[in-house]
Amino acid sequence: MPKEGGGRAEYGGSYMEEVEWYKKPRQISHVGELIDMMKEMLFIKKLFEHHRSLWWASYMFHMGIYVLIVFTLLLIATVIWRQDLLVMGTTLVGMAGFSLATAGCALLLVRRALDPTLRKYTTPQEYFNILLLLAVLLTGIVSWTMVSNPFYVAAAVLTANGSAIPVFVTVHLVLLGIMFIYIPISKMSHYVGKYFSFHKVLWDNDPNFMDNEVNKKMKKDAQTPPEHSWSAPHINLPKNGEE
Amino acid sequence: MPTPDKNLRPKDISKPADILSPIATLEKLPGVYGQEGMEPDFKEIKDSWKEKYCTSLDGIVGIDTFELPKTPEEQEALVKGFLSGLEKLFTDCNKGSLEPLQLTMEYCAKCNTCSEACHIFQSSGEQEIYRPIFRTDVLRRIYKKHFSSSGKLGAFVGADIDATWEAIARLGELSYRCNLCRRCAQVCPLGLDNGMVTREIRKIFSMEMGIAPVPIHSKGTMLQLKTGSSTGLSKPAFLDTLEFIEEDIEEKTGRKIKFPIDKQGADILLFHNAGEFIAWPDNPAAFAILFDEAGLDWTLSSEIIGYDSVNYGIWYDDVQAKRVALKQMEAAKELGVKRVVMGECGHAHKAMMLTADRMTTEEKVPVESWLPIMAELVREGRFSFDPSKNNFPVTLHDPCNIVRQMGIVTPQREILQAVAPMFREMAPCGVENYCCGGGSGFAIMNSCNFSDFRNKVSSRKKWEQILNSFAAELEDPSIIKYICAPCSNCKGTIRDMLEYYKATGKFNVQYSGLVELMVNALTSMDRPFFEFLPQE
Ligand code: SF4
Ligand code: SF4
Repeated sequence: MPKEGGGRAEYGGSYMEEVEWYKKPRQISHVGELIDMMKEMLFIKKLFEHHRSLWWASYMFHMGIYVLIVFTLLLIATVIWRQDLLVMGTTLVGMAGFSLATAGCALLLVRRALDPTLRKYTTPQEYFNILLLLAVLLTGIVSWTMVSNPFYVAAAVLTANGSAIPVFVTVHLVLLGIMFIYIPISKMSHYVGKYFSFHKVLWDNDPNFMDNEVNKKMKKDAQTPPEHSWSAPHINLPKNGEE
Repeated sequence: MPTPDKNLRPKDISKPADILSPIATLEKLPGVYGQEGMEPDFKEIKDSWKEKYCTSLDGIVGIDTFELPKTPEEQEALVKGFLSGLEKLFTDCNKGSLEPLQLTMEYCAKCNTCSEACHIFQSSGEQEIYRPIFRTDVLRRIYKKHFSSSGKLGAFVGADIDATWEAIARLGELSYRCNLCRRCAQVCPLGLDNGMVTREIRKIFSMEMGIAPVPIHSKGTMLQLKTGSSTGLSKPAFLDTLEFIEEDIEEKTGRKIKFPIDKQGADILLFHNAGEFIAWPDNPAAFAILFDEAGLDWTLSSEIIGYDSVNYGIWYDDVQAKRVALKQMEAAKELGVKRVVMGECGHAHKAMMLTADRMTTEEKVPVESWLPIMAELVREGRFSFDPSKNNFPVTLHDPCNIVRQMGIVTPQREILQAVAPMFREMAPCGVENYCCGGGSGFAIMNSCNFSDFRNKVSSRKKWEQILNSFAAELEDPSIIKYICAPCSNCKGTIRDMLEYYKATGKFNVQYSGLVELMVNALTSMDRPFFEFLPQE
């Protein structure tokens, strides 16, 4: 539990190692939590530690996506402030982002298709997800290296000058749009799920004291009794479960 | 020997087969136990089991109350019951588990990182059905097919398992092939928990269909709610047992110790797993000796349910878990004690300190573990130890509930440093430990051939770890080798394991808890506390 303070996070210890823990102020390390989160976000630490062979591809891909987000922001900046150095920097960042993400994505696809275990559990939809990403990346590469230049297109988009955008680039942009719409309804939004699974599930060990946050939430939840109920015979026994 | 199909896919759960995945090539044990003939074979599957129960998953019977549906009507009723329960898992009557369940069902990246972490999957020689995601994927595919809107897209989205009665029967059995140890959850890059999903499947069977193994339900929580203890130990029998233990303490140590019972307003209510009083009376005796020597103000409760800390509900049924926990808390409240201290029982620690903590919004008596208290007493020099009395190799088993799931890691090590000069860790240890193989009810499930599964498969990693810890001394029976397991369930599992592999008789491998080691090291003890030591 990375948020445990007092040096406990290092070996997985918790406040329950204290005598009369409920009388003592909780030692929480927000820095520890933040560092661990950053390690997961920027480094995919768990995969690195426990599944190195897959980490390479996954890391290239995810890093590539982060770099491409930076590339997009820089691209917008160049529309507002066209400066040679900025344009050069943006170009380099874009090249790095596209190479990392595309190579990572292709490796993930190959790994998934060739590894007999992964293949068994992968649904056609999951291949489709990767192929969609790959299509966006590849059309992006072709657009920016052979068809047009991203600075020109960025300016055209921001000034709503659609007619200036070549057809192939439009295809790329439409695919990109589809991907953005599709992400929230697919498991590609696992970056959001991951936040919840770590924060609300794995790291949620706050005790329930009279009138603390946990207690208040429980009281609020108790105000709406469930509509559904279980049906096994012992569930509805009188005297609280005694036969 | 039948060989399991390595290419088995979740979809095959409904495949017609006498046994879908027979257990065949188990992981090789280290050292002398790797030799031919050192390990008993699986029991033959009896025809009567085949007729009555579901043996078609792996030939093992875990749910000894689940009789196969014979008529089409019974089969249909089974399917209906299961689907109704599955649907309810995702509704407001399952509020507490809904979020982690949905996350695991929706976001699994099928990266397979969790398989490496699972001792059952590894020990079984990587049998596909025991892979942590196999079970979850079966449930996911059935759910998608029957309840999700995307399910109309069929196999494209993985909505391709029909809820046939055979698939359901096998899935039910499969939910009792996981120790709920959550080692897989610890390594998942997305923080998902296949152990939790397993428990959800058990919940459908118990809470909706009324199907759960006898030892954890009818002779477990039901018996506990009725008599006060899942052991069936009634109040008069409990009081008799205490008297017997008092006599035993006097005989062994010359000390006249009276168990304080129902002492109103005591500082500590010590809460034991009642199995200790019956199977390991030395354990409550050792606690009494230590608490007496340290001069603590403590008591036991003789009230119904106040003397058995177990709560099997946390393995399979939220309603039963809540009933047991609320009654236990009531007993503590009535005694007016300042705090409840949990003795050497892992799942009881979790049930009282974590699960029950979120069950009521009322004022509660605080609950804590005995380990930090005892470590502090040791640190303060409240005991005088002669560690040389424990002059034999000792290794420590970390109970999953206390260590991985609750983060109580160092106090037990601090104590061992003080009383066991030849202590060595298992590898891996601490929060990365492996389950003893008895977690989630397996320790007490012995119907048909289930104990074979425990001893040969789910406990195999632990056995391997123990053998490795004692590699240098194992084959010398003149050297005592001691497994310290500070948890009743783990102790029960290890007891059976040692018996199964004849390790005590052949190699002098002993086991017990941590308090026993402490008492044995007390300078004030004239005679060894352990019977396996020469009594002069
Ligand atoms: S480690 Fe997590 S994400 Fe990967 S397969 Fe297992 S449960 Fe799914
Ligand atoms: S909870 Fe433990 S036994 Fe169950 S799948 Fe995970 S690692 Fe395996």
